[in-house]
Amino acid sequence: MKRILVGLSASAALLLAACGGSSTATNPSTGAANTIPTPPAASLTGAGATFPAPFYTAAFYAYNQKYSQVTVNYQAVGSGAGIQQLTAKTVDFGASDVPMSASELTAAGGSDAVVQIASTLGTEGLAYNLQGVSTGQLKLTPDTIAGIFLGSIKKWNDPALAADNSGVSLPNAPISVVHRSDGSGTTYIFTDYLSSVNADWKSKVAKGKSVNWPVGQGAKGNEAVATTIKNTPNSIGYVELAYILQTNMTQASLKNHDGNFVVPSPEGATAAASQFLAVNPSQFSIVDAPGKDSAPISGYSWLMLYKEQTDKTKGTAAVDLLDWMVQDGQQYATTVHYAKLPATMVRNDINSLKTVTSGGSTLLNVPSPS
Amino acid sequence: MSRATAEVIPAPPVAKSHRRRFNAGDQVFTGLAYAAALLMIVIAVIFVIALVIPALPAITSFGVGFLTGRVWDPVHLRFGALPAIYGTLVTSAIGILLAFPIGLGAALFLAEEGGLSAIRGPLSFAIELLAAIPSVVIGLWAFFILTPIMRSIVDPFLNHTLGFLPFFRGGASGYGYLTAGVVLAIMVLPIMTALSRDVIRAVPRALREASLALGATNAESIWSVVLPFARVGITGAVLLSLGRALGETIAVTMVIGNSPNISASLFSLGYTLPSVIANEFTEAVGKVYQGALFELALILALITIVVNVLARLLIWRFKGSEPSVA
Amino acid sequence: MNRLIVRIAVDRLVTGLIAISVALAAIPVIILLLFVVIKGVPGILASGFFTQSFHPYGVPGGGVLNAIVGTLEIVGIGSLLAVPVGALIGIFLSEYGRNQIGDTVRFISDVLTGLPSIAFGIFGYTVLVATLGHFSAVSASVALAVLMLPVILRATETALLLVPHSLREAGLALGAPRWRVTMEVIVPAALGGIVTGALLAMARAAGETAPLLFTALGNDYLQTNPLRPMGALALTVFRNALLPYSNLQDQAWAAGLLLVMLVALTNILARIYVRRIQR
Repeated sequence: MKRILVGLSASAALLLAACGGSSTATNPSTGAANTIPTPPAASLTGAGATFPAPFYTAAFYAYNQKYSQVTVNYQAVGSGAGIQQLTAKTVDFGASDVPMSASELTAAGGSDAVVQIASTLGTEGLAYNLQGVSTGQLKLTPDTIAGIFLGSIKKWNDPALAADNSGVSLPNAPISVVHRSDGSGTTYIFTDYLSSVNADWKSKVAKGKSVNWPVGQGAKGNEAVATTIKNTPNSIGYVELAYILQTNMTQASLKNHDGNFVVPSPEGATAAASQFLAVNPSQFSIVDAPGKDSAPISGYSWLMLYKEQTDKTKGTAAVDLLDWMVQDGQQYATTVHYAKLPATMVRNDINSLKTVTSGGSTLLNVPSPS
Repeated sequence: MSRATAEVIPAPPVAKSHRRRFNAGDQVFTGLAYAAALLMIVIAVIFVIALVIPALPAITSFGVGFLTGRVWDPVHLRFGALPAIYGTLVTSAIGILLAFPIGLGAALFLAEEGGLSAIRGPLSFAIELLAAIPSVVIGLWAFFILTPIMRSIVDPFLNHTLGFLPFFRGGASGYGYLTAGVVLAIMVLPIMTALSRDVIRAVPRALREASLALGATNAESIWSVVLPFARVGITGAVLLSLGRALGETIAVTMVIGNSPNISASLFSLGYTLPSVIANEFTEAVGKVYQGALFELALILALITIVVNVLARLLIWRFKGSEPSVA
Repeated sequence: MNRLIVRIAVDRLVTGLIAISVALAAIPVIILLLFVVIKGVPGILASGFFTQSFHPYGVPGGGVLNAIVGTLEIVGIGSLLAVPVGALIGIFLSEYGRNQIGDTVRFISDVLTGLPSIAFGIFGYTVLVATLGHFSAVSASVALAVLMLPVILRATETALLLVPHSLREAGLALGAPRWRVTMEVIVPAALGGIVTGALLAMARAAGETAPLLFTALGNDYLQTNPLRPMGALALTVFRNALLPYSNLQDQAWAAGLLLVMLVALTNILARIYVRRIQR
């Protein structure tokens, strides 16, 4: 199944390359065989989520190197602000780790006013600072993670933890919990995970970009969480994978839905995403995915733009950009430790982009990758 | 530059006889000046609108309970400002308590004349430079360098020696009220020092010399002449510093621990009004949640206004004019 | 005799305490500046720091040209707005402001001085970004201008009040209209104070982050059009210092160091200028 999808998306890319839109032109720098539709000159502004920002800036930079007439200025102001600014129409596209809710869509002009596409896939790990316990050695289950963050598991040598960690020497010391203090998509995905696996968490805290934490210390941003953990013996916190890998932190292996212990990785995120083929902007959660390799705390990040574009040139430039982003642009995801989008998602995204119009005419003129 | 302020002679109102000479230029100029002044009032009105209108949904939903509520739960839309108000007041108080004696001592040194003047210039300059270091830089410095020092040296020492007081009990993580207070002390030190220095310089030299001539030691003349004379002005400097400390955002956010607690121990993690705003402003969705953050900003603005007005009144009373250090 | 010894001891003690305070006040400045220098120098020495714009992680090189240009332009436009208006309000306060309007303006200015800087960002957003429908450098300039106004108008008023009254009277006695006396006699005499106030206000504005977040927004590309989003050094520090990629972190620190140097330079210029005026 997977192979077929990959094949489909590859042929889609070929088709894309072969059948240019109305404005076909050969760009000498991109090689002779290509007749890729050249995007119109435009200067686009996007704002929103911080979580995928390294990937976005890398991809948009590459796009500008390829099509120098298009500059895309992306600023990481936060998902909530991204949605707000899209609604206020101060940006050409917004970005958020959580798609817009029904009420946000209403505020933006109706449930059908905005097109939302998945742009990348990421995962989170639980990083810790325990003397002599290296990456993957600490094993955590959904219940122990919830226990630690609810404050019911207070010490590292708690019997509940010891049960899964025979052979690991866990200290008789209190657990210092570190969490995000700023509202963030990272927190949303983590609390979404806890709400799906633990009834106590769901009733007492629930999911959100900011929640009322029962225990722990708040730090602003992934980096501050990472540094606080590094600075504090016997601490633990949830951190986005890129930060764990870039800063060489130790992270736990997590028991996934199938009962396997996995160390979170981009491959684990891809495996998790492959279990949810029907993901869409209103059913977007992929936490606690089944499958033996699935990383349990994974999630998509989203880009959004208005379905009806008032400025045709800008609108065309924007859909061309996003069309590239979900296909060729995906190669830039792996260098910053995000996972490539699954082929089904790419197809959904392109179909969504084809609904973007200006003055009644479709802006993305490429054949459907069936 | 404000050192000469004490000798200001207020301009008396220009006599009517000058206005008798009709001049179009004068009218235009007067008009311009009035227009500029009115612009200031327009700005103030826009400011009030820009802060109050977005806060209305929260004000109407929570009423006075917002001020006394202790829960901050964005998921269930329950918001109370008390922990943040408490944290703001406690951290600012610590900051002022630490900065006041140090700033005053440094000001006494800087205001003196003769002897060691080679150090005074550079020192004044360095302290004023401190005021210009962006607050995010100070925050990062505190986060990386100050918190380990607090955790491993300062907090354990205080716990060991003063642990019988409720303020210094409990485990210390290196973050929390005390660390935030120290950061605020560092940040308001330049204002405290510069303003106190100007106030002390304004003490008439004759008074001081008279006291010394009567055989008082330097310390005695500071205690019985300089400080009484400068008392009100120094109080004003303290209040102005307090105004600055209350509103400080990024640097405090990096070290306060961002946890809505109310606890007597200065080692415990806390929250402040500007920190909540800085942490949640960009991700807040929904009118009530955003409104709650705007209402925090409004509370902060009101506290700041009260403190500043008090400070200006005191300094005015003392100097008969305005200090020029912002 | 015994009492004298006690008095001298107390005097020494107080002198000692003052010396300790001076040391305690100077130490944070020195360690902070050292910290900024040590963290910032590697980034400043990296090739392309001054000549290239932002490069994302994984692309070698890259610098803060976009942010340097942005800071200069945003603060420059802000100053063009704030300095004349602030000086004019200062003139109003000293020449016409002994009334209700003057007191109101002074009160507003005092309150503005104490407001948290994020409030100025909200102001800029409400007034220009939300109404024009896009982020722009000029909206940041307006936000910073309002932040600068109180400093400039206070400095102007103070400086004007210091001008000897005899100068004013001499001018009027010669039959010159009041506005010419103000502009050609009093303002030139007070120029030192006005310029110092303006420079200090510019220095403060250059270091502000919060007013820029929702006005200038930031821009990874070199942008000189004031109606477009624009980068700034303070934004570079704020955004990049917390990324996990070391070359971007280095750039953030270097941007911080550059900002401190810019402010120091402004301060030194102001001092030199004032000293020259005073001679």
